[in-house]
Amino acid sequence: MALVTEVTLNKVLYVEDDPDIRAIAELALQDVGGFEAALCSSGQQALEVAPEFGPDLILLDVMMPEMDGPETLNKLRNFPETRSTPVIFMTARIQSSEIEEYLALGAIGVIPKPFDPMTLADDIRHLVRERVQR
Amino acid sequence: MSGVAVDQLQERLKLLKERFFERARGDIETLSGFARLIDQQQMPMSELERCYQLLHRMAGSAGTFGLPELGQAARAIEKQLKALLESAASADVAGDELVSVSAEVASEIRQLATLLEKAPDVVTTAEVSQAKAPAVAESYDGAHGMQINVMALGHTLDYLHGLLKSLAAYGFVLESGSIDRPDDFAEHLRGRTNASILLCVDSELGEVMDFREQYLPTAEHRRFPVVCIGHESSFESLYRVAQQGATAYFCEPLDLPELAERIESLALERGSRPQGRVLIVDDDVELGEHYCLVLKQAGIIARLVSDPSDLMSELSAFEPDLVLMDVQLRSYSGVTLARLIRYEQRWLGLPIVYLSSEDNPENQLDALSKGADEFLVKPVTDDYLVRSVRIRCYRARQLSDLMNRDSLTGLLKHSLIKQEVDRELARCRRAGHISCVVMLDLDHFKRVNDTWGHGQGDIVIRTLANLLRNRLRESDVIGRYGGEEFLLILPDCEPTVAVKLIEAIGKSFAELVFWARDDSFQVTLSAGVALINDFPVSDQAIEAADQALYQRKRGGRNGVTLYDPSAVGMKS
Repeated sequence: MALVTEVTLNKVLYVEDDPDIRAIAELALQDVGGFEAALCSSGQQALEVAPEFGPDLILLDVMMPEMDGPETLNKLRNFPETRSTPVIFMTARIQSSEIEEYLALGAIGVIPKPFDPMTLADDIRHLVRERVQR
Repeated sequence: MSGVAVDQLQERLKLLKERFFERARGDIETLSGFARLIDQQQMPMSELERCYQLLHRMAGSAGTFGLPELGQAARAIEKQLKALLESAASADVAGDELVSVSAEVASEIRQLATLLEKAPDVVTTAEVSQAKAPAVAESYDGAHGMQINVMALGHTLDYLHGLLKSLAAYGFVLESGSIDRPDDFAEHLRGRTNASILLCVDSELGEVMDFREQYLPTAEHRRFPVVCIGHESSFESLYRVAQQGATAYFCEPLDLPELAERIESLALERGSRPQGRVLIVDDDVELGEHYCLVLKQAGIIARLVSDPSDLMSELSAFEPDLVLMDVQLRSYSGVTLARLIRYEQRWLGLPIVYLSSEDNPENQLDALSKGADEFLVKPVTDDYLVRSVRIRCYRARQLSDLMNRDSLTGLLKHSLIKQEVDRELARCRRAGHISCVVMLDLDHFKRVNDTWGHGQGDIVIRTLANLLRNRLRESDVIGRYGGEEFLLILPDCEPTVAVKLIEAIGKSFAELVFWARDDSFQVTLSAGVALINDFPVSDQAIEAADQALYQRKRGGRNGVTLYDPSAVGMKS
């Protein structure tokens, strides 16, 4: 992944259990950001959708019932299609130690919640540029 | 996006916001049900969990929908509940068991409804954009680059106004207010998240202290420092001022640089958050995690190592201010581990504190002699743990500041500032921004020392250090490079901007009047600026700034020269 110099960033998968946040994230990603976005309401659903959708980037809410963000990430890594897809965690906890923890799990970054729908896409592009492309 | 698309987007955002409103109303109703349970002391563990989850969701979403205050308030309650849940969980409380929650929490929950109802009905782009800001509002800016506010308080402000005028040259933001109308500016002061200092005369100190007590935050770390000015320096009057609680006292005739410096350091003290990094070494994972959580809730960054063989790699990765270690970890002895830590030069000064049930002073002493610094005897209460860790982290930071910072100016020492230039060069390459390095030198400083003595020379240097701290941004780095030489790093700053900035600072500095006995003098400065990006290694950038400085010195001093790579003076 580190060797990739140019990453295409068109398809974004967002996994989030809160329907209101999903709705505003859809706006933020598609209408404001110009991405092709897929939204999943649970980790389980993400596992079904991701291989087919083939995202360039995955956004994972950390705290979800049943399968949480880190667990979803681990399972996604088992599919060839999402083995090395960059992942960003979305979290309402902003303790730096936890952020370090998420990075250690292989995420490229963490975006704190609440996010701003008008700048979410820019934040994502920025993180990807900084962490994946060199 | 076209105008129509923007309108449509706004329309949809508005709809979503309304939907969120509806749900939040429902959530708040559910929450007030929980508040009733709390009041009746009928809150079962399982419901407390639900309440927590609801608040967590609200904390993470309200800001996105233009209700940042609601989100923050929910987060504040969420944090308290989290602590409760964790301690209940570690005590194995069952789901249907009742948990005692303070009535305070119930009243905070009820206040959420007010926050929702007073929110405006229509979203504008501006409101949505603001949603992001609040998360870090609690923090004060720590280092230089922050604006320091000085607020003069009193009945008759003539004298203080004169003093403010002289302080203006040091780059403070100055204001004054009459304590006859406290309401007018108490609100204004309370809203301050940056460093503010109160200034008053000794005859009115009592009233100013009363005002502070009555109108301003009283929590220790949020309290505004009060600097008092008087005419008497007898022991009795000093004792009286100290008794009334002034943070600092200065007696006429005033030593202005010293006063400015004290204001500066008080602001810095207030700004630095009582935080630290703690590595916990304990093979009892549950207990270790409990300590971690307790410390994290107090704003301390903590990490747990449960396998001692990971200790050294964790130390390097985490770089703690303090190690908290169990004295016996299965087959490993904490005493031996402490000795092992000290094998590495860089950890010689790292405080190691034992957590132990060892209360025999003889055995404690034995452990101390082998490399640990202190004992905390188990069982420790959470509160005691937090407080003692906080104090030790603070001391450790002070100590490392002493080692890394120049004692006269509090700026970074030579070797460290050079490292910083290296880092900045790497950052420039990574992020693609432009940064400058500035070499700055006092003009004819030897004359100052020879004419007015070294004591005066020191005052001049300290004053310049303070001025630089006040005028530069938080992200800028300032170091004392040599005797009267300073090295600055200005990240993400165009050379032309850098030149203008340093010229302005030079102008302010030249206007400062230094007093020595009955005479006065002024000092100017020269500077050279170079673009870090122009050079393959940082040493060359520093060298270039130095050459530009040299040119400025030859060209008549008192000003700033930008290094020109095409000029003849360039070395190959």
